[in-house]
Amino acid sequence: MRFQDAARDARTVVYAGIQADPLVAAAAALLADASPAEHVMARAVMNGETLDPAGWRATFPTLFATEAADPAAQAVRARSDAILACSLQVADRGDEIRNQLRGAIVEALTERLLARRVGADPVHRERRILFDGVRAEIHPYDVTVERAGAAEAYDCKWGARGINADVLNQLDDARSHAADEDEPLAVALVVFDAQRSCAVRLARQTAPTDGIGLFGIGSLDRLSGRP
Amino acid sequence: MTGPSLHDTLADALDAYDRLGLLGEEIEDEWSYVTELGAAWRERLEHVDAIRGSEPAGHAGPAVDRAIAEIDLITDPHRAIDWLSTFPQVVLLACGEAP
Repeated sequence: MRFQDAARDARTVVYAGIQADPLVAAAAALLADASPAEHVMARAVMNGETLDPAGWRATFPTLFATEAADPAAQAVRARSDAILACSLQVADRGDEIRNQLRGAIVEALTERLLARRVGADPVHRERRILFDGVRAEIHPYDVTVERAGAAEAYDCKWGARGINADVLNQLDDARSHAADEDEPLAVALVVFDAQRSCAVRLARQTAPTDGIGLFGIGSLDRLSGRP
Repeated sequence: MTGPSLHDTLADALDAYDRLGLLGEEIEDEWSYVTELGAAWRERLEHVDAIRGSEPAGHAGPAVDRAIAEIDLITDPHRAIDWLSTFPQVVLLACGEAP
């Protein structure tokens, strides 16, 4: 089993521009420290129809209801404000661009959380996984952890609806081919959506799901090694 | 005179959620997913109603009203499907529940 950069075709060139947008890195940095409630807010605002910050604060009273008294609570409130402001910038980009930005944000968030557990060096983006005697998949994996004896591959989705047979088959193929070579390879989906919605989506799939991990809102911290 | 209860707020949310579901069902390929997703989240919201419905809505009332206003602006069925997952989470948070 070995890893390789994705081919530089037109799609990857365009998408690299999206990934390099400073808003992606800013959002990922904020979301890496966010609570599940703040993740839900970010998802709602980035999916939203309106751009009025006061309206969104009213929608999330548990995050914005009162002026925080102690410094720790003030820091959390400041983080919620920053996430809201960043999410509104994403929402303001127009449908096509914001769809691409949201996907890139989930990937960047995944990369950042994994780096907390394994360090930055083994974490890579847009990589193919090659196996002896097996035709390589055209589509790269969004994020990989490349460590001898403890490799990992992730496909990242903005919403549960992005889970489909192609994604599951690709992850399952990688896992089974790695097993054929006696190489451990953990594979998983990272979905910036509720576990309940992911479970509904997965239940409808006929493609393999055994052995494929799932990280959704509420469990994203586990990517960084937190329980 | 008392304000609305959580039951009132959740009833409004479920009515709005049904409207959202009807919009999402316009995507024929996703009809089963839309109906199953809607049923799963409806069950969760109805569970909260059964346990806490008699409580005053408090700040959850205006928060859910605002979330309903947001989803009532949606005209794109694809975006409606996105919100079929997001909206119940927003409602649960407003009610002080885990998303």
